Amino acid sequence: MPIERSVLRARIENAAQYIGPLWPLRTFNAANPLVGFEDQPFDRAVQQAGELFGGRGYPTPAVFRQAWERGEIDPDLLTRRLAEHGITRRPDELLDQMNTDEQERPAPPADAPLDRVLVKWLSAFLDQGQAAWPMPNRSEGFFAAWRAVAPYDDALPTVDRAANLPDTLLDAFEAVLSGYPETQWESIFVHHLAALPGWTGFIKWRARRANTAWQDAYPISLADYLAVRLTLADRMDQAIAPDRAQDLPANGVDRPSLPRIWLEAWEASYRSRLLDDLQQSPPAAPDSPPDERPDAQLVFCIDVRSEVIRRHIEAQGPYETHGYAGFFGVPMQHQPYGTDTRVKACPPIVDPKHRILERPAPDRQAQADAHDWWSALETARRALVKTLKSNVAAAFGFVEGSGGFFGGAMAARTLVPSLLFRLGEAITEWVPAPDSFTEPTVDRPAPADSAEDDGLPVGLSFKAKVLYAEAAFRLMGWTDRFAPIVVFTGHGSQTPNNPYKSSLDCGACSGNPGGPNARVLAALCNEDAVREALRERGIDIPDDTVFLAGQHNTTTDEISLFVDEADLPVPRTALERLRQDLASARADAAAERVGTMNARVDTGRDGAARRETERRAADWAETRPEWGLAGNASFIVGRRRLTEGLDLEGRAFLHSYDWRTDEDGTALENIMTGPLVVGEWINTQYYFSTVDNAAYGSGSKVTQNVVGKIGIVQGNGGDLMTGLPLQSLQIDDEHPYHRPLRLLSVIEAPTDRVDQILERHAALAQLLDNEWIRLTVLDPTEEHTFFHYRPGLSWEARTDAAAAPAGAGS
Amino acid sequence: MSDPSTNADTDHTLHPLKKIEIIVRGEKEPFVKDLLDESKISGYTIHHNVTGRGEHGFHEGRLLFNDRDGLVMFFAVGGEESIQTIVNGLTPLFEESSGVMFVSETQVVRLDKFLKEE
Repeated sequence: MPIERSVLRARIENAAQYIGPLWPLRTFNAANPLVGFEDQPFDRAVQQAGELFGGRGYPTPAVFRQAWERGEIDPDLLTRRLAEHGITRRPDELLDQMNTDEQERPAPPADAPLDRVLVKWLSAFLDQGQAAWPMPNRSEGFFAAWRAVAPYDDALPTVDRAANLPDTLLDAFEAVLSGYPETQWESIFVHHLAALPGWTGFIKWRARRANTAWQDAYPISLADYLAVRLTLADRMDQAIAPDRAQDLPANGVDRPSLPRIWLEAWEASYRSRLLDDLQQSPPAAPDSPPDERPDAQLVFCIDVRSEVIRRHIEAQGPYETHGYAGFFGVPMQHQPYGTDTRVKACPPIVDPKHRILERPAPDRQAQADAHDWWSALETARRALVKTLKSNVAAAFGFVEGSGGFFGGAMAARTLVPSLLFRLGEAITEWVPAPDSFTEPTVDRPAPADSAEDDGLPVGLSFKAKVLYAEAAFRLMGWTDRFAPIVVFTGHGSQTPNNPYKSSLDCGACSGNPGGPNARVLAALCNEDAVREALRERGIDIPDDTVFLAGQHNTTTDEISLFVDEADLPVPRTALERLRQDLASARADAAAERVGTMNARVDTGRDGAARRETERRAADWAETRPEWGLAGNASFIVGRRRLTEGLDLEGRAFLHSYDWRTDEDGTALENIMTGPLVVGEWINTQYYFSTVDNAAYGSGSKVTQNVVGKIGIVQGNGGDLMTGLPLQSLQIDDEHPYHRPLRLLSVIEAPTDRVDQILERHAALAQLLDNEWIRLTVLDPTEEHTFFHYRPGLSWEARTDAAAAPAGAGS
Repeated sequence: MSDPSTNADTDHTLHPLKKIEIIVRGEKEPFVKDLLDESKISGYTIHHNVTGRGEHGFHEGRLLFNDRDGLVMFFAVGGEESIQTIVNGLTPLFEESSGVMFVSETQVVRLDKFLKEE
């Protein structure tokens, strides 16, 4: 039976919609593992995904019990929700009931022999430089490369030469699908893709958007995967279409289950407390801004970790802080100094439009040369060690000869990580770091130098510069009142020996540090011509305002400012004062965050918390350098006055926005369709990794192994793990630190403005209607009343406000 | 700039061909691109950030920070057989995801520009 290629491709595309893309470790992106189900209501989606992947959709009864005992679920709210479904039993009894209902849910049937063989060849083919001996024939594509080596595979005793296997991919499908009608293909494909959602998710990512050099050199598609898998199934007497592959994914049912009701009550309780807090904050007070010009204004990423440091900076003195997406609105690809690597430095839902390289500043060539010399030495050393380690003849002698040195280094890393941290700092001062002598290429190069080898122009046009600078201030609602120093502060994590480092870096920069983006926006805003254009557009930046870039180290809470020490752009005294205050804020923030990490540290001792964070930043055996975005639960869009002075416990994304400066709603529209959607991706990744760490997370770090430099497996094989490790979510085996709640967005804006935006954006309205995100609006035109969004574009005024101030907001 | 080799054809004869217009969500852009690349048509045009209303509601195209949820429009011209291949590849896709395609008669002057040589 001839199969038309285009039809086959479409059937595979349809089947693959249920598989979430999986980014490689280098740029591990937060993503909803159930992204393919977002067109379904949440409850139905988790049922369908449960059928397909065997993962649970709601927290365990034990987690609900902990929340109940900690008082995080309001008894009145819970009772009311239960009553709506005719349930009148006591919560304790219901928790017991949920426990009893927890039967062993049947895991989806595993085609274990098939999975084993396939994983072996996938990990060989997709290897990105970890293997000493690469798989042959990879440039011909996965199916062809596998076909060439299959005769040597003991798992296929009946295949003794390649000619026994189908010649082409299409032949392979024709051979195995001949007995099945086209209407059944998708179900068959869904079953086989869902058998290894980690590997298929990675192939989906690589084959679609990635355009990586690895994909160019060694192409693979889901069609390759399916052709190999189905041929293997055929030759290994495994089912092409098992019973369950009749109608996948099965439809869910509408049911008011206990876990669903309990989760809703938990979320409503969190919402109620947060709104009580917000109600007590100053927005009801006079709207006029304070008269004093602040000493400095710092713009941070909306990341929940920024909430902590912002609070502590504001407590130091005349400082103001703002929140903006951490790629600072510049959709760029970044090529760090001295490397050929190009990384995407904008959110996963945005395509880069510009390439930014770093090059030595005009009078900094001497430092660049010094750096290059050390860098070349280090590269040669690494290459030599790798050769000696992997060469059969040299390995034994190398180990004999160098064992003492490496043993000493290992002991130092293990026993005195803090010392190594300080040594690292000292070396940084000795060998110039690239950010001290480079500048980003914000200008378009001369036509002769502007090779566009993948369509991305280097640098930005003047129009683009003005667009990004204006967008930043418009979205934040910040059009006047600029301090003498404004700092755009990206963020990045510091953690050695950690394959999940990028999950701790900036999510708005696709899992990379945000410092380079901050440098670009600061450079644009310092250009006279850009300021002039902004002035014509009503954004009046005084001549004495200087924009700086910095980076917040989220492990240690240290904030480094990228300034040229030899040619300070601001008065030294002002800079020193700022640095001192940032150091004080760091100490306070570190003490607060260390207190949440089960650390045996006497936070009363001067500097103890700081030293503990430094140890975590240098300790190669530390499984939890920091909490990342664990705890995230809300996304607040509004003026800082709304949240100023509140301790939001590092659980809130904070996006600055002023409804008064955005009459047509364009700024809010871009916040809701951009950063809010990314917030939902992050939140759902944390949610599902917490409720089922085996299915949607990545298990304990202790038993993880890196495969092919692309992903993580548990033990020595199996599927690629798709989500976050246990140590990033749980305080111990029993207790999650992350509270698995769906994202609550709170927007300070007129309700009809939000309505208009939702009417224009079906995809966004769908996320709300299907309850992947909750939304409450604080309507300043309706006496600051809170309105809860109800599916189908309707609103309900809040009725559960606290009767009396609860003393929050201190 | 005209190609000298076709300048000889001075009578500007119009040749009948088929035109296909396709509108899909941004996330399906790579799929449609691959489909068109593998078909026998010689080229196509893409419009990003398309705005419009469909069965699932309105889609505003001008988004600063979201390239995934916007709409993308393709159009291509080719012979009946190659357009039919594209239609065959899109029909199953539209069973599951939103999008539309329109096929119409069109005419071109420089036929050789639209027929891909094997």
